[in-house]
Parts: sequence; C-alpha cells; structure tokens
Amino acid sequence: MNSELTAPVESAVLAAEVEGLVDSAEPEGIYRDTRECGGGLLLAGLLLISPPTPRPTKTDAS
Amino acid sequence: MAEQAQGISPLSAVVADVAQGVALALRGGGGSYALSDVLPPDEAVAPAAVRVLGADALAPYALDRAAATGGATDRTTADRALVRAALTAFAPGADASEVSLWSYRGLLAAARALLPADPDGWPPEPPAATAWTATDPWPKLAHRASQLASLALPGLDTPLAAGLAERTDDLARGFVRAVRRRDWLQAAGLGRWLASAADVPDTLGLDSGLVFVRQMSGTQPRVALHVAAAARFYGRGS
Repeated sequence: MNSELTAPVESAVLAAEVEGLVDSAEPEGIYRDTRECGGGLLLAGLLLISPPTPRPTKTDAS
Repeated sequence: MAEQAQGISPLSAVVADVAQGVALALRGGGGSYALSDVLPPDEAVAPAAVRVLGADALAPYALDRAAATGGATDRTTADRALVRAALTAFAPGADASEVSLWSYRGLLAAARALLPADPDGWPPEPPAATAWTATDPWPKLAHRASQLASLALPGLDTPLAAGLAERTDDLARGFVRAVRRRDWLQAAGLGRWLASAADVPDTLGLDSGLVFVRQMSGTQPRVALHVAAAARFYGRGS
C-alpha cells in the first residue's frame, strides 16, 4: 500500500490510542461499602438466630 | 528498548520502558537522565509515549533544574524537540476530556519549567476546567486524580493541584478503595498526590501503604514511577 495514504490512518489510530491511555476507563469491579456489608451480615445473623415460628400445640384428641 | 511483551501494543511497551527509565532516574540509578536516551530513536511512537506520560517524562529534571535549564546542550535540545513533537502531534481535540486537557497542560508546564526556553515558543495552553475537583463524588475524583498524578511535581503550581489540595480526605478514601480493589496504578497515583499534601491523616498509613502498593504491583513501571516520585520529591513511602 502507498505509505502516504496509510500515514493519516495510522496517525489517527495512534492518536486514539494515546487518548485511551491518557484517559483510560476504571477497571471493572464491584466495590461494596463496609457499612452496607456489615448491615447485611447483621440482618442475616438475626434471621438465623431468631426463634422458630410458634406452631399450635398438638392435642391428644387429634 | 521497547521490549514488547506478548499482547502489549508497541506504544504501551515504549511507555513502560520510559516509565522504567524515569523511575530508575528518580531512585538515583542509571547515571544522568535524558529523555531522548530512554526513547527509541526515529520511531513514530516516541512522541506519543511522551504525551502519554505527560510531565513525568521530564520529572528527573526537577531534581536538578539548574542543569536542565542552564543551557541548551545536545541532550536538552533533542528532548525539547521530542516534547514539542508530542505537544504538536497529540494536542487535545475539541471533544477532549478534562483528563486529557490537564495532562497536556502538565506536559506543557513541565517543559516550560524544566527545559531550556524554546526559541519558537511553546504551544498555547488549552483552557481546562477545575470545577470538577470540587464537585465530583469521591470515587470519580479519585479515578481522575490518579490519572493526573504526573502533575504532582514540585514547581508545577497548577490550579488543579490547588483544587485537589482541598479534597485530601476524599483522595485518602480513594487510596484505600484502590488498594482494596487491587488497582495498584490508581493507588500509586493517589498516594503520590497524598504525599504532596500537607494534611494527610496519620491514620491512613500512607508510607507503609505506598511500600505495600509497590511490592504488590510486581513489575508495573508506572506504579514504580509514582512511588519513586512520592519518595524522592516528598519523602513519603521510602
């Protein structure tokens, strides 16, 4: 290919790469707030240690 | 030079090489530094790498300003030409982001401060906003600030640095968040800004945090560069 024709394309690609490196997106990741996690853990713990739902007692007649 | 690792673009490889050279110079090794010596000669990516690294490409000259600006030697003339090429070829466009604009301004400010005067004059400074340093929520501020850590350089008194100095607590939050996410580059950049700040809370553990980031990042040259700059210019994390 003619280098004079490809040069502008190459420089545009390089310029885009430069912009990408200068202002790159933050890596994907899930960040959980400690207080939110603590609240969730406390709720789960309370549900686990809560007493069972009262059931009607069995009678001899039944 | 430009040892190209598998899957890394030629530009990224050159950026890593130059960052390694700058970090080495900031740690006091490798003899005298010249930007033109650490870049591959006659390669199109050389000015692009200078633009990506911004002011950091000239950071070792901040160690000895008199030697850098005292007279136009062969080395400083070559460096000046390289920086001029980077500023001309990769000027931010009309739709450029604030990070791109500030990175460009940082390179320009460093060239003015640390290189002999350009007989043709340096390019004009593009306008860039600072309002975001006051209004951005802290995670977004931390991300942007870390990308602009090259501006945390003695002698570059920019409005950006003044704006970030008002958000030290938020930068500290960002530093901890980045460490927890194992985003070592962001952590190192924020650590460098925090090293330049006067009111960093002792409870943050910045010095040991920077050492930790340096060790955990393995061989990431730009992380090493930020940690070396924090140690050399501000005496933190060494």
